[in-house]
Amino acid sequence: MRQLAAALLAVVLLSLCALAVGRSPVELLRILTLGSVGSRFAIEGTLLKSIPLLLTGLSVALAFRAGVWNIGGEGQFITGAIAALIASHLGVVPAILASMLAGAVWASIATLMRLWRNAPEVLTTILLNFTAIHLLGWCVNGPLQERSAQYPQSDLAGASLPVAGELHAGIVIALAASVASWFLLYRTAAGLRLRATGLNARAAAWAGINVNAQLVRAMAISGAFAGLAGGIELLGTTHRLFERFAAGYGYSGIAVALLAQLHPLATVASAMFFGALATGAGELQRTAGISSSIAVFGQAVIILLLILFGSWRSRD
Amino acid sequence: MKRTAVIIVTALLAVACNQKQESTSTPTSAAPAPKSVMHVGLLTPGSINDAGWNALAWEGVQRIQKELGAEVSHQETKTPAEILEGFKSYGAKNYDLAFGHGFEFQDAAKQAGAQYPKTIFITTSGNTVAPNVAPMVFELEQATYLLGIIAARESKTGKAGLVGGINLPSIASTFLAFKAGAQSVNPKFEVKEIYTGNFDDLGAAKLATQSLINAGCDFIFHQANEAGRGVFQACQEKHVRCFGSNKNQNDLAPDVIVASAVLDVPGAFVTVAKKVQSHQFKPEIQYLGMNEGIVSLVWNDKLKPAMKPETIAEVEKVEQGIRSGTVKVPRGF
Repeated sequence: MRQLAAALLAVVLLSLCALAVGRSPVELLRILTLGSVGSRFAIEGTLLKSIPLLLTGLSVALAFRAGVWNIGGEGQFITGAIAALIASHLGVVPAILASMLAGAVWASIATLMRLWRNAPEVLTTILLNFTAIHLLGWCVNGPLQERSAQYPQSDLAGASLPVAGELHAGIVIALAASVASWFLLYRTAAGLRLRATGLNARAAAWAGINVNAQLVRAMAISGAFAGLAGGIELLGTTHRLFERFAAGYGYSGIAVALLAQLHPLATVASAMFFGALATGAGELQRTAGISSSIAVFGQAVIILLLILFGSWRSRD
Repeated sequence: MKRTAVIIVTALLAVACNQKQESTSTPTSAAPAPKSVMHVGLLTPGSINDAGWNALAWEGVQRIQKELGAEVSHQETKTPAEILEGFKSYGAKNYDLAFGHGFEFQDAAKQAGAQYPKTIFITTSGNTVAPNVAPMVFELEQATYLLGIIAARESKTGKAGLVGGINLPSIASTFLAFKAGAQSVNPKFEVKEIYTGNFDDLGAAKLATQSLINAGCDFIFHQANEAGRGVFQACQEKHVRCFGSNKNQNDLAPDVIVASAVLDVPGAFVTVAKKVQSHQFKPEIQYLGMNEGIVSLVWNDKLKPAMKPETIAEVEKVEQGIRSGTVKVPRGF
C-alpha cells in the first residue's frame, strides 16, 4: 500500500509541477513514456543508459550489503576507464579485465586506509573520487591526449565491444554480473559472511567471521564492478576518454541500488527505470521544451518519494 | 517491494498516455517535421542558464528562431550516449540542422550524420568533416592580430604581456596571431606569455599581470575568461593599457582597456543556419571571421583619440587586407 501511495503522490506532485509551468501533465507524461519506451529507438536508448547504471548500482549494492560504505563509484568508474583505454591495444578482453582490476585497486586504497588508520571509507572513497577526476584531467591533457594534441581527449580506444544495432555487448556482461552477484550473496557461504558482516559486524565477529577480510573482499568486488562499468562505457559507448567522462554514473549508482533495496536482481529493474527516466527526460527537453533542470527535478521527486515510502533497509 | 512501486508508476504512466493518445493528436515526437518551416536542434554540454558558453549557443538558436522563423529545440546532453541519442533523434525527425556545442560532439555528429544524410550536423569547433557534418571555427585571430599591431605601434618599452588561462590550442592560437601582428610592425617586439592554469582564479591572473608589468610590458592582452578581471585590476592599479577579449569588455575598465577583440557566437549560429536554409552549405570547416561579421575589433571611444593617427590608419588598412585576403593571419592549428 505504501508503494501505491508513493506512486500516486509522485504522479500528483509532478502533475502539479507541470500545471505550475503551464503544461498539461497528461501530455508531458505521454512524451516521457513515448520517449523512454515508445519506440525501438527509445528502448535502445533506455537500455544503453541502463548498462553503466546497473553495474555501478551492483557495486553499491554489494558494498552496502557488507556494511561497507563505498561512495567512490565515480572514481573507480574513471580509473576503470583509464585502464581499459590503455589495455585496449591488447584486445577487448584484456581491456575489460584491466578495468575491473583498476577499479578494485582504486577502491582498495580506501580499504588500506581503513585498516591502517581506521579512516572512514565514506570519506576516503569520496576524496578518491576527486583524485580520480584530476587524474583523468591530467591524462587527457598529458600522456593520453590524442596524437594531434588539439583537444583534451584521448585517441579512439584500440578495441571495442561487439555491437548489435545500437546496443553493445556490455548489456550481456552487466546482466551476467547481476546474476553472479545474486549467486554470490545468496547462494554461497562467502556471500553469507559478507551479509552477516553488513547486518552486524560485531555479531559476525563473534560467530567467527573475519570481519576485516569481508571488508577487503567487499570493497574489491565493489570497486571491480564500478571499474567494469567505466571500462564498458569506454569500450561500448564513448570509445575515448575526455574530462567529463564519468558524468555522475558513480553517484547515480547509489540511488539505483537503494531503489532496488540493495538486491542484485532488483537492481536490473531499478537501473532500467533510471535509464528510462533519463531517456524520457531527453525527449521532454527536445519536444516539449522542458528544461533539463525541471526534468532532473522530476526524477529527484520520484526517487525521494519511493525511498521515503519504502523501507529500503529492510533486511532479509 | 520497491519493484512493485516501480511497476505501478510505470503502469500509471502508460495508462495516462494511452488515454491521451486516443483523445488528441498533437504533433510531437513521432511525427516528422513538415518541410516548409526550418527545424533546428541544439545540444549543449551544460545548462543554458550558465551566462557563458552554453547561454551563447541558446541565444544563437533563439535568434535563428526569430530571424529565420525556424522551429527550435534544445537538449542538455551530459554523456556521449545522450549526445548520440539527441543527434539521432533530430535526424529521425528530419530536422534541417542540428548543432552540438563543443568539440566533444564530433564523433556523435559523424555517426548520426552517416545515418541521417538529410540533416546537417554542425559542431562548435573541431575538425571532423563529412558530407553533412562540419565544424564552425571562429577566427578570433584576425582581431588579436590587429591588437598586436596596436601594441607594437603604441608601446614605449617594446614589450607586451599575454595572460592565458589554460594552454588550449584555441587560446595559444590567438596569442600566436597577436605576436605575429606585433612583429609585423617591429620584428624585435617582445611578447611574454604566462598561463595561470585555470580560468577562474582572479588572484593568479592578477599576479601574472603584475609580474609582466614589472618585466617592462606596457600592453597586456588576456585570454583568461572569468579571471580576466584580475588582469584588468592589475592594469588599473599600475595604469597600464590592456585589451579585452571575446566580448566587448571596454566598459569593465574604461580608463585602461584600449580595444577588445570581439567574437559574436550567437551571430555565428545564425550565419550557418542561413547557409543551410538557402542550400549553400558546403561540407567544409565553416570559418567565421571578420567577413562574416562574427569577429571584430571594437575600440574604446574614450581612449581611441589618445592613439597616434598612424596607428589607427594602419589598423584600418590591415583590417581591409584581412577582409580582402591580402593579409594572412597565422593560426596555431
